[in-house]
Amino acid sequence: MGEVILTMKDIDKSFPGVHALDHVDLEVRKGEVLALMGENGAGKSTLMKVLTGIYTKDSGTITYEGKEVEFHNTREAQDAGIVIVHQELNMLGHLTVAQNIFIGREFKKGIRIDDRKMNEEAKKLFDRMNIGIDPTETMSRLTVGKQQMCEIAKAISHDAKIIIFDEPSAALTETEIEELFKIIRDLKAKGLGIVYISHRMDEIKVITDRVTVMRDGTYVGTLITKDSTKDDIINMMVGRVIYEDPKTQNMVPKDAPVVLKVDHLNAGKLVQDVSFELHKGEILGFSGLMGAGRTETARALFGADPIDSGDIYIKGKKVTIKSPQDAVRCGIGYLSEDRKRYGIVVQKTVAENTTMASLENYMSGIFIDKKKEKEVADKYVESLATKTPSVDQLVVNLSGGNQQKVVIAKWLTRDCDILIFDEPTRGIDVGAKNEIYKLMNTLAEQGKAIIMISSEMTEILRMSDRIVVMCEGKKTGELDISEATQENIMNMATREIG
Amino acid sequence: MGKIKQNPFVQKVGFNRIVLCFVLFLLYGFFCAMTQGRFAGMNRILSALNYAYFLGFLSLGVTFVIATGGIDFSIGPVMFCCALISGYSLVNHGIPMAAAMIISLVVGLAFGLFNGYLVAYWSVPSFITSMASMNIAKGAASVFTKTQSVSWPQASAEGGWYRNIIKMGNIPVGLIIFLVIAVICAIILNKTRIGRYILSLGSNKEAVRLSGVDVKKWEMIAYIICGLLVGISAIFYVAAYTTVQPGYGDQYNNEAIAGCVMGGTSMAGGLASISGTVIGVFIIALLQEGILALGFTKDYQLIITGIIVIVAVFSDVVARRRKN
Repeated sequence: MGEVILTMKDIDKSFPGVHALDHVDLEVRKGEVLALMGENGAGKSTLMKVLTGIYTKDSGTITYEGKEVEFHNTREAQDAGIVIVHQELNMLGHLTVAQNIFIGREFKKGIRIDDRKMNEEAKKLFDRMNIGIDPTETMSRLTVGKQQMCEIAKAISHDAKIIIFDEPSAALTETEIEELFKIIRDLKAKGLGIVYISHRMDEIKVITDRVTVMRDGTYVGTLITKDSTKDDIINMMVGRVIYEDPKTQNMVPKDAPVVLKVDHLNAGKLVQDVSFELHKGEILGFSGLMGAGRTETARALFGADPIDSGDIYIKGKKVTIKSPQDAVRCGIGYLSEDRKRYGIVVQKTVAENTTMASLENYMSGIFIDKKKEKEVADKYVESLATKTPSVDQLVVNLSGGNQQKVVIAKWLTRDCDILIFDEPTRGIDVGAKNEIYKLMNTLAEQGKAIIMISSEMTEILRMSDRIVVMCEGKKTGELDISEATQENIMNMATREIG
Repeated sequence: MGKIKQNPFVQKVGFNRIVLCFVLFLLYGFFCAMTQGRFAGMNRILSALNYAYFLGFLSLGVTFVIATGGIDFSIGPVMFCCALISGYSLVNHGIPMAAAMIISLVVGLAFGLFNGYLVAYWSVPSFITSMASMNIAKGAASVFTKTQSVSWPQASAEGGWYRNIIKMGNIPVGLIIFLVIAVICAIILNKTRIGRYILSLGSNKEAVRLSGVDVKKWEMIAYIICGLLVGISAIFYVAAYTTVQPGYGDQYNNEAIAGCVMGGTSMAGGLASISGTVIGVFIIALLQEGILALGFTKDYQLIITGIIVIVAVFSDVVARRRKN
C-alpha cells in the first residue's frame, strides 16, 4: 500500500448547539480506496466539507503531501488536487460535455472560446479513462451514469491527487456501477487516493481497501476491508451505547383493529411497492438511511405527492387520496420533517396555526370566532405545555420544540386518528425531546395510530411497537420491537442491491 | 424608540401607521406653506380627493393580490378596459347607466378570474400573467371601441346622475363609499376565512396546503376580489374624468402599488394592512396634487412615485432581513 498523502488529525468543528466533529482523524494513502462510513448525521459530509474548505475547522491539522494546509474554498482545494464528485451532479444540461468539463477555465483563442481545443482535450481525458463519450454531445442527453463519468473526467482534468466520491452509486444502474468501479480501479492504479462515501455494504466490500467509520461526529476506527465482515462494520457504525429505556415489547393489544392499510403503494422512484398495516394505538417506526424513501412514502400517503398506483384502506374502507385535503378528510395528519417549510406559518400566531387545519369549526357565520379560536389554542398550549407568552405570539418566536407542539396541536384540533410524525425531534433539544416522546406515547394510549419516521436508531428503538425498514424505495423488513436490534435494522437498511 | 413601540396604544394602532399619518400631515403642512395657504381648507382637500378615489380602489384591490405574495400589473389597463367597454355600450348601444356600471364590474371580475385561475391552478407566475392580461385588456378595449376614446355623459346630460357617486351637493359621497368599502375589505382580510387563508398562504403556501386547505381556491379568490375592485375603480374614474382613451392605464399600476406597499403590505406576501393602504393612497394623492400646485409637471409625479415604490419595497426587504 502506498504512502500517506493526506492526514487529518484531531479535527474539531462545532455549530451552534451541535458538536459536529469531535477530534476526528482520517488518513488517505496513495493508490488506495478508503471507505468513509457512518449513519446519517455521523459527520462524514461535514468532515469532507472541512477538508475542501467549505467549512473552517475550529481546531486540528490537515497535512497534505507533507505540508500543513488550510483551504479557504473549494477552488483552492481543487487547485491543490483535492476534488469532490458530488452525489447531485453539478452539470449544466444545455452545454456540451467538453464545455462542462472546462467550465470556468475555457481554452481561449483571442477573445473567442476555442471549442475545438476543448473537445480534443476532453477526448484525451476520456481515452485515458477508456470510456467512449462524445465531447460534443449535449450534457442533458447523457444518462446519469455517463454524466457521472463526466464529473470524474472533470475531476481528473484538475490534475487531482485525491478524489472524494460522495455516494456516487445512488443514481446508477448496475452496469454503470461496474463501469464506475473499473474507472476507480484505474485511478487507484495510477496512484490517486480515493475516498468513497457510501451506504452500500456490498460495494464497500468490492471496491475499498480500508474502511474508516464515524459515529455521532467522532472517529470510531479504521478496518482493513478484506479482513473484516459486514457485521464488524455495522457494529462500529451503531456502537454499543446503552440507550435509555428502549421499548421491550409491543404495547398494542393483539386484537387492535387495523386503521390504515397500505397495499402495494408506488409513487415515483423512492416508493416502490410499499405495503404495511397500522393498528389502533400503535406507534409504527419507519427506519432507514437517507434517501430510503420513508418521507416520500409518507408524502404520497398524505396526498402531498401524486400516487402512481396502489390502494389505501382506512378502517377497512378503500379511499382515494389525491391531495392533502383528501387525506385530512380521511383523518390523517402529517407533521413534516421540515417544520419551517411545511409545518407552520411562522409569521402567524400560535392561535392561527392551531386552527389552520380546522378553521371551518371556528366560524360564526362568515366571521372567524376569535374567542373560540383562542380558547382551543389556550387549551392545547396548556395540555401540551407549550412555552409561549400567549397564543397571540408569532410562532417564529418559539423554540423548535414548542413549534413542534404547535404543529401537534394543529392536528389534535382536527382530531386526526392517524398521525405521521416525520423526524419528530429533529432540531429539538434533549429536554423537549422527552416531552415529545411522552406526548406521542399518551396519544397512542388514547387510541391514535402513529407512524414515526426517524433516522435516529435510539428513537426508533425507544418509541416503536413495530418497525418497518426501508432501503432505496423498497420495504426491506418488518420487525416487532421484541425482536429488533440495531444490528438487524441496520442490516435491512443497508441490504444488498438487486 | 423602543418605549414608544411598546406603548399599548401604539401597539394597537401599529407603529407604521402612526408614522404614515405623521408623514401625511407633515407633507400636507409642507404643501400649505409652500403655496401660501392655497392648499389649505377642507374643500380643497375634498376636490383633490375626487380625482383619487379610483386609485384608492385599485390600491385596495392589489393589496389582496400582494398579500398572497403575487403581483398584478394589469389593474390600470383593466380598469381602463372596464371603463371603455361599459362606456362604449352606454354611449353607442344606448344601454341604461345601471347596466353599464354592472358591465364594468363584470369585466373587472372576468379579468380577476382569468388572472387568478392562471396563477393558482396553472402556476403561471403572477408577474407574467398580469403582464399578459395587461396587453389583452388594452387590445380588447381598443378592438371593442374601434380605437375611439369614449366620453361618458356630463352631469347635466341624461344618465349623468352617476357622477354623484363622487359628490352630491356638499356631501362627499365618494369619500364615504371609499371608506365603507375599505372597512369591508379590512373585515374580509382580518375577520374571515378568505383573509386568514390569503395571508397564511402568502406567508407559507406549502404549509397551508399540507394542512389540508384548498390553497388554489383561496389564492384565486384574492385575484377575483381585486378584479371586482378594479371594476368599481373604473366607475369612479369616469365619474371624475368622464373621458377614457384606449391604450393607456399603465401609469396607475405604479401609483396603486406604491400606495399599497407604502401602507405596510409586504411584497413577499403574508402581511397586509388595509388601513395602511388607505393612508398610503392619501399620501400618493396629496403628493400628486402638491407637485402640480408647486408648478411642476406631471413627469415629476412619475419620478416620485417610482422612487416611493423602491423605497417602500426596500425598507420592507430590510425589515424582513433584520427579522431573520
